[in-house]
Amino acid sequence: MDDYQTCPKCKTTKYRNPAMVLMVNACGHALCESCVELLFAKGSGACPECKCPLRRNNFRVQLFEDPAVDKEVDIRKRILKEFNKRQEDFPTLREYNDYLEEVETIIFNLVFDIDPTNTNKMIDNYKKENKDITQKNRNRQSQEEMELEELLEAEKAQQCEKANLYVNAELEEKKQKHKAREKLIDELMFSDADAKSIVASHVQATSALAKEQPKAAAQPSSGVVKSSKFSSGIQIGLRGQHTNSFLPIPKQEDLPLYRYTAPVFDYDGPPPPPIEKLGKLNYFANIRAANITERAGGYTEAMSCCRALQEALGGLFYSPQLTHKTAVLATNPSTQDTDDMETT
Amino acid sequence: MFATSTQRHFWMFKDETDVSNARLSANIKYISSRGRNMTVAERETHFLNVVEEKSLIMSYEYQLRDFCRKFHPPMPRYVIGTALHYLKRFYVNNSVMDYPPKEILVTCVYLACKVEEFNVSMDQFVGNLKGDREKAAAIILNNELLLMQQLDYQLTVHNPFRPLEGLMIDMKTRFPTFSDPERLRPGIDEFLEQVFYTDAILIYSPSQISLAAIIHSASTSKENVDEYITKILFSEDQKRLLNLIEAVKKIRVMVRNVQLPHRDTIKALEKKLALCCNPDNNSESPAFKKRMKQSFDEEESFEDGQYPSASSDQVRSMLMGLSEMGKI
Repeated sequence: MDDYQTCPKCKTTKYRNPAMVLMVNACGHALCESCVELLFAKGSGACPECKCPLRRNNFRVQLFEDPAVDKEVDIRKRILKEFNKRQEDFPTLREYNDYLEEVETIIFNLVFDIDPTNTNKMIDNYKKENKDITQKNRNRQSQEEMELEELLEAEKAQQCEKANLYVNAELEEKKQKHKAREKLIDELMFSDADAKSIVASHVQATSALAKEQPKAAAQPSSGVVKSSKFSSGIQIGLRGQHTNSFLPIPKQEDLPLYRYTAPVFDYDGPPPPPIEKLGKLNYFANIRAANITERAGGYTEAMSCCRALQEALGGLFYSPQLTHKTAVLATNPSTQDTDDMETT
Repeated sequence: MFATSTQRHFWMFKDETDVSNARLSANIKYISSRGRNMTVAERETHFLNVVEEKSLIMSYEYQLRDFCRKFHPPMPRYVIGTALHYLKRFYVNNSVMDYPPKEILVTCVYLACKVEEFNVSMDQFVGNLKGDREKAAAIILNNELLLMQQLDYQLTVHNPFRPLEGLMIDMKTRFPTFSDPERLRPGIDEFLEQVFYTDAILIYSPSQISLAAIIHSASTSKENVDEYITKILFSEDQKRLLNLIEAVKKIRVMVRNVQLPHRDTIKALEKKLALCCNPDNNSESPAFKKRMKQSFDEEESFEDGQYPSASSDQVRSMLMGLSEMGKI
C-alpha cells in the first residue's frame, strides 16, 4: 500500500524512489520532501493544489496514508492542548457531554474549513474564560506524565543492568579460561612433575571453578529489586486478584434427591411369571435352547420365553370399547358429510 | 406390548357394526363427492355399495395371501399378517372406488416386509410380480407414503402368532395333563388363516384370537382345554372369564361365517369398479397420465431457477400467440 503513494507535483512514487517521504502541510495536502525543498528554494509559499500561503516549518512528516487524516490529527492535537477539561471539572454528565460536543464541532469546522471566523472567535472566547482551569489541568497532566516516565525509566535501567551483568559475567569467564590455560602451559614448561598429572589436576581445577561460577552469578541478580508497588500504594500486576481459590457454587439443598422407581406395566391380562423365575418353573424344557453363537451374543432362552408369555397373557382381559371414531348411521347422504367432519 | 400399543388405542372397534359403519361412512363420502349430479337411483347402479365393497376386499385379501404364498424368498406368516392388517385398516377409512385395491395390495406387502424386518429389495420384490416391473416399482413407491398416511403412521402391528407360541409354552409347562398340544397345530394354523378374512383382528386382542384358535382346534379334535383356562389362566379373576368366553365365542362365529365370494360375482364387481373408480388415483386412466406429465414438466422448469408458476401449456400458448402476431 505504501508503494502507490504519489507526490502530486512530481509524480514519483515510493515504488520508484523508496526513500521518498511525503510531508503534509497545514491545508492537508501532501508533498514529497524534494518538492517541498524545491518550493521553498524558489521562495514562493503556496500549496500547489489549493494555493493557500504556507510556511516551511508547517510541514510535518506524514504519518497516515490519507493526508486529510493527518491534518485532522494535527488540528486535534492543537485544540486539545487548549480544551483540556476533564469530567471532574463538570458538575453533571450532561454538561461534560455538551463540552465535548462543542470541542468536536470546533475541530470539525477547522478541518473542513467551515465558517473559520466564527470558530476562531469561539476558540478565543473559550481561551479567555478558562485560562486558569486550563493551566491547572496542564500541570496535572504533566505530573502524571512525569510519573509514567519515571516508571519507564526505572524499567529501562533494570534491563540495562541485567544486560551489563550478563556481559560482564561472560568477560570474566573468558579471562579465567585464559589464565588457566596460561598457567597450564607455564607448569608444563617449568615444573618437573609428570605431564599427565599436571593436565589432570588442571582439569579438576577448571571443573571446580565452573561450579563456583553459577553461584557467583546468582548473587548479583538479587541486587536488583523489582518494585512491586506504585508510589501511590497500588500493587503492580495482577497479584492478589486471581490467586485466591474460586468460591464453590452454592448447592441447592432444598431439592429432593432422585429416587429410582421401577416401571409398572399394565398387561390387561393375568400377570406372566417374572423372567427370573422362568427357569425354576421349568419353562425352558418347552422352548428351543439357545445355541452357542446366540449365547455368546447375550441371548438367553429366558428372553424369548418371557416375551412370548407376556404377549400371550397380555390383553386377555381386553374388552372391545367404542372407538374414537363414533359410529355414523346411514340415513341421508347429505347430512352424512357434515357428521363425518365433526366426528373424525 | 399390545396393551400400550397404538393398535389398541386407535385401531380397535367395538364390534362388527362399528366397523361396517366406518366403512359405510367412507363409501358415502366418496359417492356424494363424485356423484353430486346424479339421482339416488342412478347412484345405486353406478357406484358400489358397502356389501359389494366388502366382498371385493375379501377377494383381494385372498389374492394377497396367494401372492405371499408364492413369494420368493418364502415369506414368514407374521409378514402376511401385518400386510393383511394394513389392507384392512386402509379400507376401513377409504372406499375401494377411491384407490385401486391392486396397487394398495402390493404396497401393503412391501411396507409390511420393511416394517417386520423381512429384508427384500425392490428388484427382488417386483421380480415376484407379473407384467411391467418398472411400472410396478413406480406404483409401489408412489403409493407408499399415501398408505402410511392413511395408517396415521402407526405401523406396529401385533399379530396373534407370538401369543400363540406363548400359550403353547405355557400349556406345556403348567398344564401337563393335556398331552402334546402340538397335535392341535394344524387346526390352529387353519383357524388363524381364516380369522384374517374377518374383522376380528380389528375388534379383539391378538391373545384372545390365539386362545380362540386353540379352543377351536381342541374342540374339533374333541378335546377340552377348559380346565386350563379356568384353573390356570383365570384362577384369580373369575369375572373376566365371562368376558373372555364371550369374546372367544364371537370370534369363532365370525370365522365360521367366512365365505369366499363367487368368482363370477367378483368379475362383475371388478367391471363395475373400473367404471366408477376415481380416475385421479388410477394409474391406468388417461387423466392420471396427463396429470403426471404436467407435474413432471413443471418440475423440469423449476430445476433451472425461479420460474413463474405458469405451466408449460400456458407458456406454449403464449409463445404461439406471439409468433402469430409476427413478433418472433
